[in-house]
Amino acid sequence: MAASVRLLFRRISRLSHRNINSTADSFSRRPGCCFGPFSSRCISDAAEDRNTHFGFETVPEAEKAKRVYKVFENVAEKYDIMNDAMSLGIHRLWKDMLLHVMHPQPGARLLDVAGGTGDISFRFLDYVYHQQERQKRRALGSSQTLSWQDISEKYPAEDAPHESSSVVCDINKEMLKVGKQRADSMGITSGLSWVVGDAEELPFDDDQFDIYTIAFGIRNVTHIDQALQEAFRVLKPGGRFMCLEFSKVTNPVLARLYDAYSFQVIPVLGEVIAGDWKSYQYLVESIRNFPDQEEFKGMIEDAGFCSVQYFNFTGGVVALHSGFKL
Amino acid sequence: MAALLRGLRAGRLLRGLSGVVTAPTSTVPQCRSLRRGFHRAALRLQDESKSDKSSSSSSSSTSTHREQYQAHSAEQDTEAASQQDSDPNSSEQDQDEEYETEEQLQARILTAALEFVQLHGWSMEAIAAGAESLGLSSASTGMFYNGAGDLVLHFISQCNAKLTEILAEQHNQVQLGQAERKKTADFLRDAVETRLRMYIPYIETWPQAMSILLLPHNIPDSLKHLSTMVDDIWYYAGDRSTDVSGSSHPRSPFSAAHTFLSPFHHHPHHIRPATSQMNWYTKRAVLTGLYNTTELVMLQDSSPDFQDTWTFLDNRIQDVVNMATTAKQMQSTGEAVAQGLMGAAVTLKNLTGLNQRR
Repeated sequence: MAASVRLLFRRISRLSHRNINSTADSFSRRPGCCFGPFSSRCISDAAEDRNTHFGFETVPEAEKAKRVYKVFENVAEKYDIMNDAMSLGIHRLWKDMLLHVMHPQPGARLLDVAGGTGDISFRFLDYVYHQQERQKRRALGSSQTLSWQDISEKYPAEDAPHESSSVVCDINKEMLKVGKQRADSMGITSGLSWVVGDAEELPFDDDQFDIYTIAFGIRNVTHIDQALQEAFRVLKPGGRFMCLEFSKVTNPVLARLYDAYSFQVIPVLGEVIAGDWKSYQYLVESIRNFPDQEEFKGMIEDAGFCSVQYFNFTGGVVALHSGFKL
Repeated sequence: MAALLRGLRAGRLLRGLSGVVTAPTSTVPQCRSLRRGFHRAALRLQDESKSDKSSSSSSSSTSTHREQYQAHSAEQDTEAASQQDSDPNSSEQDQDEEYETEEQLQARILTAALEFVQLHGWSMEAIAAGAESLGLSSASTGMFYNGAGDLVLHFISQCNAKLTEILAEQHNQVQLGQAERKKTADFLRDAVETRLRMYIPYIETWPQAMSILLLPHNIPDSLKHLSTMVDDIWYYAGDRSTDVSGSSHPRSPFSAAHTFLSPFHHHPHHIRPATSQMNWYTKRAVLTGLYNTTELVMLQDSSPDFQDTWTFLDNRIQDVVNMATTAKQMQSTGEAVAQGLMGAAVTLKNLTGLNQRR
């Protein structure tokens, strides 16, 4: 009873926020038929065009992709700074954990979908490079007793076919541009390619990649099951699907703090740092609309993946789902 | 109450309906092998539930329909339950050998990885090479959350299985009369030697494997494997000593076959009278000690065909035998001495007249 009253208050406060801050209506506001942070997608039965959620609004599915595109076009420049500000830098730890769980072997090919500014790909290349260094050092270390001739012979025997590479795929050109700039400034010349593509319809052949990751991107996809099926298609047999995404916080105390932080602090940060309240309002609302850990695990299994598991980080704020194409 | 049950059944019916409707429309390639496996499990469940239902409920024409839908929802439940159980080492319901379970696939990858151990050591790289040799991407090594530990434990359980096979085969031959029964000491010696010889191809990297087994999260599993192996060896050695704790042997396949060794209880040449006095724990502790020390000796043995190791093993077994006979002798000597003392005491009592009995 108290919970529903609290929900009612939150709805009212949010509505009032929106009314106060509504500027020129590039976003046409239509009060949706379902409110509330835990509603799933609202399908209007009679209408021909299906509706889906865009934050807490209901929009036709065709429009969602466009609006998401505009959101990320607006935030592309300040994306990384905002990530650091919003998550207090913890997002770096989450992405490091993703790499740690992934534990890629040298020679693996990564497809980084919704990779945008390339965070995951840079970490991936780093990880593999260090692993190869360690292996080389180990190989050389065991050959200390060899003569200099043998050592010099071993040196050029580097396995060139085991070069790992990463493909960053994103639907948004602005994000890819920012990512390319970052790569150039970091001095990464090889092993990275940038492709514009839609997660629901990837421009790649079947059985191409060892690992498919999508970090904080899948909740922006209109048809999640199609994205999962595409992931299944482009992965090699034995390949791994990994999805890092905001999820349901399990601890009730933490949940309340998290909600307060999400709805009070993050849009304000967005306005102050990036000059864009609405995009970050969309961000926190889209998190609430995303299915929880178990439901998403079921969706991944439906797409055909085996051995699906999820790991909760920061008490459930972020969940890492992993499945294998076997 | 009845209304509640009816409501429950209606709910399950609806769920089953939705399951029936969605299943044929999915065109996506599933984990086919696993799905079919679960389907078989579900069919078995369906049979069970049918037999339950027919015995309990008042049968009507509609009840069979409800059973079918319940079975479908049971299929969904088993699927959900089994797939939620993401631990790949949990019991697999699939008994059909045609379709591979996750467990079997992992076993296949690890077996393939064993060939690369000499090159890469007991590590994730070996597992990755094994997966690639099977045509799978190296990313599938992510299934093994214990990494190298998984590989070593798999190898050990494989060796134990092989040993059990060999011992069973030998036992069959003895039963058929084609071979002679060995003394317990010889039997133990041969079993330990057979088992340790399986390490010979990997002997250079075996110290690394042993150190992996000593990691804290691997210790329970490695101890479990060791104790099952020791149990198996003693079982085939004809161990019938008293089990003090009263618990059964942790080996279900043989639980029904306890009586087949009884004709061989009274064979002539043995140390059995002494050992049958020793209890269950002593025997296993002795064999564990034998096995571990011999394994350590084998690690730094450089003699041809590990002759030094087998000599060491012989000597240790001889020690155990000697200790057993000495113990027996001490016991009988002690009994004789005690009897002698009692006799002397009675004689004294008679002499001094304290003994009132005439």
